[in-house]
Amino acid sequence: MSASATLRRLERVLTMVPWVLDHPGVTLDDLAARFGGTPREILADLDVLGYCGLPGYGGGDLIEVRVLGDRVSVHLADYFRRPLRLTVREAVTLLLAARAFAQALDAGESGPLAAAAAKLEALLGSDSEHPPAVALELSSPAPESLADLRAAVDAGRVVRLVYRSESKAETTTREVEPWRLAASGGHWYLQGWCRLADGPRDFRLDRVREHEVTGEVVATPEAAPSPPIYRPGPEHTEVVLEVAPQGRWVVDWIVADRVEPRDGGLRIAFRAATLDWAARLVLRLAGHARVLEPPDLAARVADLAAGALAAYEHD
Amino acid sequence: MTDRLERLINLVIALRETRVPLAVGEIRERVAGYGQDDYEAFRRMFERDKADLRALGVPVETAPLDAWGDRQGYRIDPDRYDLPEIALDSEELAALALALEATDLADAAAGGLRKLAVDAGQPPSVAGREPTGPQDAGARPRPRVDLGLDAPHLGALMEAQASRTPVRFGYAPAGRAGQAAAGERTVEPHALVHRSGRWYLVGHDRDRRARRAFRLDRISGSVRRAGPPGSFEMPEEPVGPADVVPEAPAPDATALVAAQPDVAWQVARRARGGGEALEDGRTAYHVPVGDPEAFVTWVLGWAGAVEVRSPPELRAEVASRLRALAGGRA
Repeated sequence: MSASATLRRLERVLTMVPWVLDHPGVTLDDLAARFGGTPREILADLDVLGYCGLPGYGGGDLIEVRVLGDRVSVHLADYFRRPLRLTVREAVTLLLAARAFAQALDAGESGPLAAAAAKLEALLGSDSEHPPAVALELSSPAPESLADLRAAVDAGRVVRLVYRSESKAETTTREVEPWRLAASGGHWYLQGWCRLADGPRDFRLDRVREHEVTGEVVATPEAAPSPPIYRPGPEHTEVVLEVAPQGRWVVDWIVADRVEPRDGGLRIAFRAATLDWAARLVLRLAGHARVLEPPDLAARVADLAAGALAAYEHD
Repeated sequence: MTDRLERLINLVIALRETRVPLAVGEIRERVAGYGQDDYEAFRRMFERDKADLRALGVPVETAPLDAWGDRQGYRIDPDRYDLPEIALDSEELAALALALEATDLADAAAGGLRKLAVDAGQPPSVAGREPTGPQDAGARPRPRVDLGLDAPHLGALMEAQASRTPVRFGYAPAGRAGQAAAGERTVEPHALVHRSGRWYLVGHDRDRRARRAFRLDRISGSVRRAGPPGSFEMPEEPVGPADVVPEAPAPDATALVAAQPDVAWQVARRARGGGEALEDGRTAYHVPVGDPEAFVTWVLGWAGAVEVRSPPELRAEVASRLRALAGGRA
């Protein structure tokens, strides 16, 4: 058995024994459901436990494990009356999850989540003189539409969005069957079924111009949608840019396939849903980027720049 | 050969229940599962067991065996082993379980949640992810939050922060202007901050003698210790999300821009005050400039849908960039 499998078993035993001490007669099935693993694996753990105890290991030193049918009780193990303390990592993970979810729900300072977070904070504070300091802010500022859309998701009401697509640079009105709100990478998204595109779509809330919650109620989707990240498709164009140091920020804006250092700058390869989107990205780079691929991108950039320049030329 | 699980459980019990710290020799003689090997093999086995127990969170301590402190023994302090009473009620525990699901941390924090469930004496449905009861059927998916706890160096820096250990690392600030130099930083870590999807370390930069924020994804190479634990004082003032936002220079400076109808609403969200309708159907807005380079970049990204009217130097800058980008086409 691998070392990590043994340690997982040890962790399970140290958490499970306090429970069995408090609940004599608990079933193997219940323990398996509660602590993970199968009833057989739980039985194997208990079997090992019966050989353990205080040094001397005579009668009265060993832990007494009784299994009657599928019912279990443990005696002479008072030193395992409490579960093992939370590690700092466990406590911080729990606390961060609680705080983040409270922000996502806009749950405020009251309610069970805030109470749980406060208890975890007190625990971390009591464990050390200098508890880990972590702070959290999901997105700033929170989009105005968040509360309305949250209610729409909860009620399963279709929403009508006036949305500006970044990749196509066009504004459309679409009906969306809302599935879920998601915060990722500093932005809030509404995930759902877009009736205009006739497919699942993620809508970034800061690009929603107007929203209207309709009276139409739709059913819950069976499977939870995947996280809102850009998934390049095979039909998307591969773009290769050489970027000067001043343009390094661009790696934060794209999902890059490759980033290689090149003469103090970077050579970046990524895929773009539309040529126009890539062209506007190159415009933003304001002369700090050179287009290597595809050949028609450089021409598109020049066209867009020339068009925009017209407004400035009559000065 | 004795089962390793059995030996580890016996070691925990022996170290926890001893009144005086146990010397290595006593552990070898008295704890079931050691003893039968030669001394070197035993020593390796014990070192590995000790390290694994500590990694699991079992507080195995060294303590002097005599007044001179020449010889060290081992023990587990029951007060540091036992989970203190936290007493979450069933609602709080269920809320926490949902929070873990929403943040995709249910697997990572399953062990911690089980400990809390045992402490609370709660039913199994909230203690683990195994389908033990009807999930609240028909309920809508709850918001999902990506916390990025797999950010590079996060664990190492949290540990350094909690133990007040100064750290050294390579850092490559990007910055739109890109003028700040890459190089080594020595930092006293004060806090870790998650803001708008990114993790930052906030701490005292020893070379710059000031509090600075560092993006974790800009740290290159490894994070090394730059001093012993406990070798700096935590400042009194707390750290918050605002501490990672660079101060905006000249917040009062604005530019006058004209926006085309289809994008006017997006410009309006950035603008100061309301817009003014122009004769050609566009709307004029006063937009805060902040960093001029960032402002010019923002305007260029609109590809003509937003035009800078004033100040003249920003208008000229945008025009000159567009001219360069247009090449021979202008």
